[in-house]
Amino acid sequence: MNGVLVLLEHRGGAFNRMSWEALAAGQQIATALGQPLTAAVAGHELESLSVELASRKLDHGYRVEHALLKDYTADGYVLAFEQLIHKLDPAYVVLPHTYQVRDFAPRLATRFGQVLLADLVGLRKEGDGFVFVRQLFQGKLNADYRHQGAGPCFLSVQAGAFRAESLESGSTQVEIFTPQIEASAVRNQPQPPFREAAQTVDLGSAGIIVSVGRGIKEQDNLPMIEELAAALGGEIAASRPICDNGWLPMERQVGSSGQTVSPKLYLAVGISGAIQHLVGMKGSKTVVAINKDENAPIFELADYGIVGDLFEVVPALTEAVKKIRGA
Amino acid sequence: MKIIVAIKQVPVRDSSLHIDSNGRWIDEEDLSYEINEPDAYALEAALQLKEKHGGEVVALLAGPARGAQTIREALAKGADRAIHIECDDLATLDTLGIASRLAAAIKEEAADLILTGLQSDDLGLGQTGVVLAELLGIPHATIIMHVEVGSGSIQVKRELEDGWFQNVDMPLPALLTIQSGISKLRYATLMGIKKAKTKEVRRIAAADLPGAAAATITLDRVYLPEKKKETQMLEGTPKEAAAKLADKLKFEVRVI
Amino acid sequence: MMNTAVAARALSLSLRYAEPPSFTSFEIGMLALVIVASAVGFFWRFSSVLRNIFSAKRDPDFHLSPIAKRVWDFFWEVLCQAKVIRERPLPGIAHAFVFWGFLAFALVSLNHFAAGFRLGFLDADGWVGGFYFWFAAVFALLVAVSIAGLFVRRFFVRPIWLGRKISYESGFIAFLIFGLMATYLAAFLVPATSATARGLWWAHALCILIFLPLIPHTKHLHLVLSPITIFLSRGEFSRIPPLAGDEDFGLVTGKDVTQLVALQAYSCVECGRCTEHCPASTTGKELNPKQIILGMRSYLNDLGPHSDEPLLGKYNSQDAAFQCTTCGACEFQCPVGIEHLPIIIGLRRGAVNTGTYEDDHGTKLFLALERSGNALGMSASERDKFIKKQELPIFDGSQEYCLWLGCMGAYDPQGREIIASFAKVMSYLGTSFGVLKKEKCTGDPVRRLGNDLVFQQLAEQNLEIMKQQKVTKIVTICPHCVRTIAKDWRDFGASPEVEHHSEFMARYQDKLPKTADGPEIVYHDPCYLGRYRGSYDQPREVLALSGRVIEPPRTRERSFCCGAGGGLAFLGEETGNERVSHNRARELAATGAAIVGAACPFCNTMLRDALAATSETPPQLLDIAQIAAQSIANQSIANQAAQPHPAS
Repeated sequence: MNGVLVLLEHRGGAFNRMSWEALAAGQQIATALGQPLTAAVAGHELESLSVELASRKLDHGYRVEHALLKDYTADGYVLAFEQLIHKLDPAYVVLPHTYQVRDFAPRLATRFGQVLLADLVGLRKEGDGFVFVRQLFQGKLNADYRHQGAGPCFLSVQAGAFRAESLESGSTQVEIFTPQIEASAVRNQPQPPFREAAQTVDLGSAGIIVSVGRGIKEQDNLPMIEELAAALGGEIAASRPICDNGWLPMERQVGSSGQTVSPKLYLAVGISGAIQHLVGMKGSKTVVAINKDENAPIFELADYGIVGDLFEVVPALTEAVKKIRGA
Repeated sequence: MKIIVAIKQVPVRDSSLHIDSNGRWIDEEDLSYEINEPDAYALEAALQLKEKHGGEVVALLAGPARGAQTIREALAKGADRAIHIECDDLATLDTLGIASRLAAAIKEEAADLILTGLQSDDLGLGQTGVVLAELLGIPHATIIMHVEVGSGSIQVKRELEDGWFQNVDMPLPALLTIQSGISKLRYATLMGIKKAKTKEVRRIAAADLPGAAAATITLDRVYLPEKKKETQMLEGTPKEAAAKLADKLKFEVRVI
Repeated sequence: MMNTAVAARALSLSLRYAEPPSFTSFEIGMLALVIVASAVGFFWRFSSVLRNIFSAKRDPDFHLSPIAKRVWDFFWEVLCQAKVIRERPLPGIAHAFVFWGFLAFALVSLNHFAAGFRLGFLDADGWVGGFYFWFAAVFALLVAVSIAGLFVRRFFVRPIWLGRKISYESGFIAFLIFGLMATYLAAFLVPATSATARGLWWAHALCILIFLPLIPHTKHLHLVLSPITIFLSRGEFSRIPPLAGDEDFGLVTGKDVTQLVALQAYSCVECGRCTEHCPASTTGKELNPKQIILGMRSYLNDLGPHSDEPLLGKYNSQDAAFQCTTCGACEFQCPVGIEHLPIIIGLRRGAVNTGTYEDDHGTKLFLALERSGNALGMSASERDKFIKKQELPIFDGSQEYCLWLGCMGAYDPQGREIIASFAKVMSYLGTSFGVLKKEKCTGDPVRRLGNDLVFQQLAEQNLEIMKQQKVTKIVTICPHCVRTIAKDWRDFGASPEVEHHSEFMARYQDKLPKTADGPEIVYHDPCYLGRYRGSYDQPREVLALSGRVIEPPRTRERSFCCGAGGGLAFLGEETGNERVSHNRARELAATGAAIVGAACPFCNTMLRDALAATSETPPQLLDIAQIAAQSIANQSIANQAAQPHPAS
C-alpha cells in the first residue's frame, strides 16, 4: 500500500476546477509522506483531457477508459475505480467534494471496508499519520478526524479549501486503464443533463443576493444595485418598502411577508434591519451590510460591515469585484 | 409501495453548542433534539409518494431512547409504523457501522424504496444512505429533486451543480437521498399525534443485530473554528473599504 | 258612523283606553283559532331551533357560577340596554325604547287577550288599570316614534353594515310594531262601545298574532334568545374552551358545534356592529364576522348539529377565518352576547389540528415554534447575545420580578429598545428584576391560530421553567404575552402573576419624573391591553407624565387593530384593499400629534412601517417605556445642570 491517488472530475470536456484543488491536497499528502502522486480520470474517449493531465507534475497519470463510462453512473464509476485501486493499491485516495463524488465515493469506500472522510477543510501531519479537519454543525464547530487501521484512506476536499495555484506543471505519462464492466452491472440509466428553463425568480435557491432597502431613496438609483448584483453573479432582492413602492416586484421581497432566503452571501445595502426583514435572511451563510447608520440593527447580524454612504461604496465595490473577476 | 425513510435525531438547529470536558464531543446536557432537517424532506417525499401511489411508509431511526420523540413526530406526520434501533453507542461507530445496523434491521422488510436526507445537520458526512444502498446491494441516486414512479422502476431528477439537472431511470428496489427544500414540509397536528399513539413501533436492541467492524475513522477532538461570528467592520474611504470587502469576498467567503 | 260631536265628547270626557265591553261567542272562537294558528306557527319553527340548540354537544367548560356576574350582565346589557346604547347612541336609544315599550306592554297584551275571553283584569276606569294604560301609552308613543326612526334609518339612510340587501321582513315587522302602537293609542280616542274600538282591538290583536310566528323565522328571534345568550356567556372575553377528550380538535364538523355556539348563532340580530368594527371587513378582506355567525346558523338550519360535513367549506370560508386579527372588536361590540372569538378560533383549531389548513407562512411559523421556540425562528443564541450586551441581570429567584422579554423583546431590534428602556425605568424605581436564561414563546400566535399541539408544548415548557426558577411575578412589555400567561396557560397549570409594563409604571407614577409642557402624544390602545384586559387608563397615566395625551377618533374600547394579532404578523401579506396597519396609521397621524404612544411591540412594529408608508412627515413612534425612560434621562440631565452651582 503506497502512494496517493487523486480521482479527477470532468464535465463537458474540461476538468472541474475543484479537481485541481483535490490534486493540491493529494500533493500535500504525497510530499509529506514522500510517496508518489498519481491522478486518474474516468470516462470514454478522453484524449484531450489526457493531454491536459500529461502537462501536470505527477508521478503517474491514468485514463480509465470504457464505453460504459461515457455517461456518469455510480455503478460504472465504482466498478472502474475499484479495479484501479486494486491495481494501484494506494494508501490515500483523494477526491474533490462535488455532487458526483458524493454520489459514488461512499459506495466505493464501502467496497474496501472504508468510510469516506468527506468535505475536508484542512489536513496536517501529526506523528505517523494525518489529522483531517472537517466542519460539524454547518460550520459551527471544527473537528479533527483520524484514519484507523489498514486499507486505503478515502478523502474528499471542500471547494476552496486547498489552493490549486500551488500546483506545478510538468510532463507525465498517462496510461490507459480499461476496467471490466458488464452492461448489466450498471443499473441506473442517466438521461442527458439539462438546465432548468428560466422560471420565476427563485430567491430561495440563489447563492448570492444583493438586497436593497429604504436607503436607496429613489427608484432611479436602483441600476447601481443591479450592476453590483450582475458583477457578483447574484440576484437582486429588497426589503418590503421597496416592493411596496413598486420599485421591484413583490416576488423579490425578502422577509416575513416575502421570501425566506439562505444564500452563501447576502449583501444588504441601505437596509436597517427591521425584524420582518431579518427573519427572512437570517439563514444566510455570510451577511455583508452597507449602511450609513452605524447603529443599524443589520450590523448585529452581519459578518462584514461598512459604515458609509452607499452611493459611494456600492460603485466602488462593483469596480473592485469586476477587477477581481476580470483578473 | 413500501417506503422506508431513514431519519436521524440531531440537536435543534440553532442550539448554542458547548464542547464537553474531554473535548471530543459537545455537551449534550440541556440540548433539545429534532429530526435532521434533510431527513424531514425525505419523510415529506415519502408521504407524498404514499399519498399518490398508496402503500406504506416506515420510519427507521437508530439512536438512544430520546429518539422516540422524533419517531412519534414522524408517525404524527403520517408514517404508518416505525423501527427504532435502540443504541447509546452511536458516537463509537462510523458511517459503515451505523449503515450496517440499519441494513440488518430492514433486510427482512424488502422495501421498494428507501429514502433518506442527503446529509445530517450534525456530522454532515452525507454518506449513510449511499453506504446503506451498497450494503443492501441495491442501486441508489443522490440529491434527488423529484421521483416519478413507473411499474417496477422509477425516474428521478438529480440535481447536478451550477443549475444543471439530470433524469435517471432506475429499477426498484432503490435508495434515494432527497435534496432539502424541494417541497413544503407539513406540520405535526394534534390529530396526527393522537393517531401516532396507536401506531406500531418495533424496537430492536443493537445487541440483537450483527456486530459492526471497528471504526475506520475516529473523531479525535472538536473545537471552535478560529473565525468567530463577530462583525468585522471594514474601515477607510469608500474606495478602500470596498476593496477590502472584495478581498474578503474572494478569500474568506469564496464567492468571487 | 261617528259625528264630530261624539268625537269631541270622547276627547273631552273619556280619554281613556277603549276596549270593547263584550265579545260574541263567534269572536271568542275566532280569537282562539287565530291564537292557536299563531302559536303553531311560532313553535313549528322555534322547536326546531330549540332542538338544534339542545341536541348540540354540551360545552365542556361551562359553569353557571359566578351567578352574580351573570345577573349583573343581564341587568346591565339586557334590561338597561347599556351596550346597545353606548356603542350606537341614537339608534341604540330608539332600540331601547322599543325594548322597554315591549316590557311595559307585556301586561297590556296579556290583558288584551284575557279580555277577549272575558277575563280582562285591567279596568280602564279603575285606579290601577287607568294608570297602567296611560303608563303604557307613554311608551307606545316612544316606541312608535323610535320604530319610525329606525325604519327611516334602515330604508333611507341605509348604513352599509346593515347589509346591502334591503330586508323587507324588517320593514314589515317595523310596520307591525308601528301598527301595534297606533292601534293602542287610537283606542284612547274612541268610545269603548264604538265599532272603531272593536276594530282597533282586533287590529291590535292581529298585529301581535302575526308578529309571533314571524319571530323564529327572522332575526327577531333575538327577542327570545338574546337575553338567554347574554345570561349564559362564557364568562370572560375571548374565552377559548379547553379541548374535551381525544376526539375534540375544535370546530371541525357539525358534531363539534356546542350548545353555546348554536345558541349564539341563532341569536344574531344581524345589526352588523361586528362588521362595522372589524379591521378585516373595514379593509376589504373576505372576513365578515357577521357572516361567520350567519354561516354557522345556515349550517345548523340545513344540516343540524350532528352532521359530518365540514364547517369550513360551503358555509364558511377558511380564508376568512384566517384573516381574523383576534382584535375582539366584534365580540366586544355584539349587543346580543355572541362570542365571535371562540367560534373563529374554534374553526381555526379545527382546520389546524386536523391538518386541513395549508399555508406556507403558517406552516413556517408552526415549524419555527416547534423547533426554536420563538415565533421569529431566530437562534436562542441571539437572545443570549442581547442579554449580555444590555447587561440584563439573570433571574435567580432572589429578584422580585421576572422581566419577560417575549419574542419581540428578545429578537426584534425595536422590541429590544423597549426592553432596554423599561429596564432603565425599573432600575430608576429601584425594583429588582431579572430575565430568564431560557424563555420560549408564550404560544400566543399558535393559540390564536388554533394549533393546540404547539401551544400545549410551549405552555408546558414555560410552566416548567417557571417552576424551576420559582418565578412568582412577571412583568412584560407585550400585551399578548400578558394575556397568554394570565389566561391561556391556565389550561395546563397555575401560572405566575403577570403584569403589563404600563400597569407597573402606572402604579409607580408618583415616583416617576413629571414633565411640564410635554409634546402631544396620541395613544394607540393595543387590543390585547384594552379590550382583552381592560387596561385603558394606566398607559394614559404614564404618558400624561411626559406629555399631553390626545385621543384618536377610534379609541379605548373602540380602538382599531394594528393588524398583527391572531398570528397574522407571521402570515405574510394581507389581501383586501388596504393593510390594517395603514388604516390605523393614517388615523393616528391625522391627529397631528408629535408622538404616537404605543404599548405593544407588535403594534410598534406594524405602525412603524405603516406610518412611514402613509405619511410624508410621520410622527415619532415610541413605546410608553421609551417615553418614560426619556423623561428620566431628561431629568438627570437637568439635575446635573442644576448641581454645578456651588453654594458661595
